[in-house]
Amino acid sequence: MIDFSMYDVKAPKIQAYKCEGCGEIFYPAPMICAKCGARRDPVTGKDWSTFDLEGPCTLLTWTRVWNLPEGYTKKFLQFGIVQFENGLKASGRVEVAEPKTGMKLTATVEEADERPGKPVNVFVFQ
Amino acid sequence: MATRVGIVGIGHTRFGNSSEYDLGDLLAYAATDCLQDAGFLERRKEIDQVFVANMASGMFCHQTAVASAMISKMDMEPVPAELIENGPASGASAIKVGTMAVASGMADVVLVVGGEIMRKVTGWSATDIVATMLHTEAEYNMGLTLPGFGGMFTRMYMEKYGLTERDLALVAVKDHENGAKNKYAHVQLPCKIEAIADGPEANVVNQYIAEPLRMYSTCPVTDGAAAVLLVNMDAPIAKEFKKKPVRIAGVASATDTHCVHNRQDPLKLEAVRIAGEKAYQMAGMGPKDIDFAELHDAFVILELAISEEIGLFERGKAYLAVRKGETKIDGRLPINPSGGLKSKGHPVGGTGVSQVVELVRQLRGEAEPGRQVKDPKVGMSVNFGGFGNNVVAVICAKE
Repeated sequence: MIDFSMYDVKAPKIQAYKCEGCGEIFYPAPMICAKCGARRDPVTGKDWSTFDLEGPCTLLTWTRVWNLPEGYTKKFLQFGIVQFENGLKASGRVEVAEPKTGMKLTATVEEADERPGKPVNVFVFQ
Repeated sequence: MATRVGIVGIGHTRFGNSSEYDLGDLLAYAATDCLQDAGFLERRKEIDQVFVANMASGMFCHQTAVASAMISKMDMEPVPAELIENGPASGASAIKVGTMAVASGMADVVLVVGGEIMRKVTGWSATDIVATMLHTEAEYNMGLTLPGFGGMFTRMYMEKYGLTERDLALVAVKDHENGAKNKYAHVQLPCKIEAIADGPEANVVNQYIAEPLRMYSTCPVTDGAAAVLLVNMDAPIAKEFKKKPVRIAGVASATDTHCVHNRQDPLKLEAVRIAGEKAYQMAGMGPKDIDFAELHDAFVILELAISEEIGLFERGKAYLAVRKGETKIDGRLPINPSGGLKSKGHPVGGTGVSQVVELVRQLRGEAEPGRQVKDPKVGMSVNFGGFGNNVVAVICAKE
């Protein structure tokens, strides 16, 4: 048996951003803080911090899409917009049988490889 | 705007499937049509500036620099020509930039051409290419598409205001009734409410695309081009065209957050509201002055929501006006007399120009019998880029 943990395989994550100057949080990453105007340097990340965006959230709206783009082999995918407890909102995939606006979900992150190129991290709301 | 800018020529291809043609040819066809309409074809080298609107020829056709290609096909060298790109609002953006060029005094005659060939690729690929205008990391990578956002927006609207799927079908029936009479429309077929909503086979005929949006709530994938010739109405050359100018009374644009989820209220289309307000201000007009409108119904929900944002109806009430027939061609306020994007089609980079061509046709009284608005004086168009993150409004007035 091979123990893959020795390769330090990390679970996929999607990060949100915090301006350390004023405490405002963002997803996805801005280049300028909308509250205090602080610049974010994407190379050094100076004066900004990041945190994993995941966990409890509320479904604001959703759809079931039947005409998926090239590369997607599923018959349909469900998508939704959620709001996290910290107020941030995000779009992603909804994986519950009967979605209902207002329902409580949990956001996790998975790797998706339907499109050509490197796999990407996607939100899955369950 | 001190300088009065008018439209003295219009051109349009038959929208539909032009995938066997070259994009440069398609653009040149609409431009030639336009210059003939203006009686200026032989004098085309006197044009001060050409702007070509296109969203994604590099991806749809594997072809770039299409403004230069079109100039050469029309034997128009050395007229200056540039490309304008603003997603599906490229067309109206090019008209806005053309108007600015005339108003600034840098040009007296400007040709604006917009077009797209989308059907060289599969429908799945076209959906993917259009989706590249979404936020790469937070939307596109998730697998989201424009119909996906249309579906989520529609659900929010339904839950807040009581809109039903049947109401969406009523908009489609109205649009197809107009489009069936438009010689330029992609889908020149009327449809009945029984076929797409009320009848026993409606769920088969009118399948879901992005719930609750169905096929008849969504525009087709279309090829086509359109053109307008702009002129400084106060310059001596303004008298040298065959047609009387239709004045661009107002033109304005506005932007909103790239990510839809970052909007305070995702049901509010702030860029539409602001672009509309700025265009009204420039024109010295208000919603009550609008006799008819061409609104960007890539998804029929947008016809309703845009009409509310620009003040034509109270928020959440536009669908009630559709139920009463107020937006039909003989109604109180006709909307999308061309058939709209739903029936006329939506060649993304060309749509904004096509909408303004329709304003001019209506204001000149040149629309086909059965879809001519009765004696209109002022028309308005709204061209919607992204999912509402870059929007252009145009108001045209009969002189």
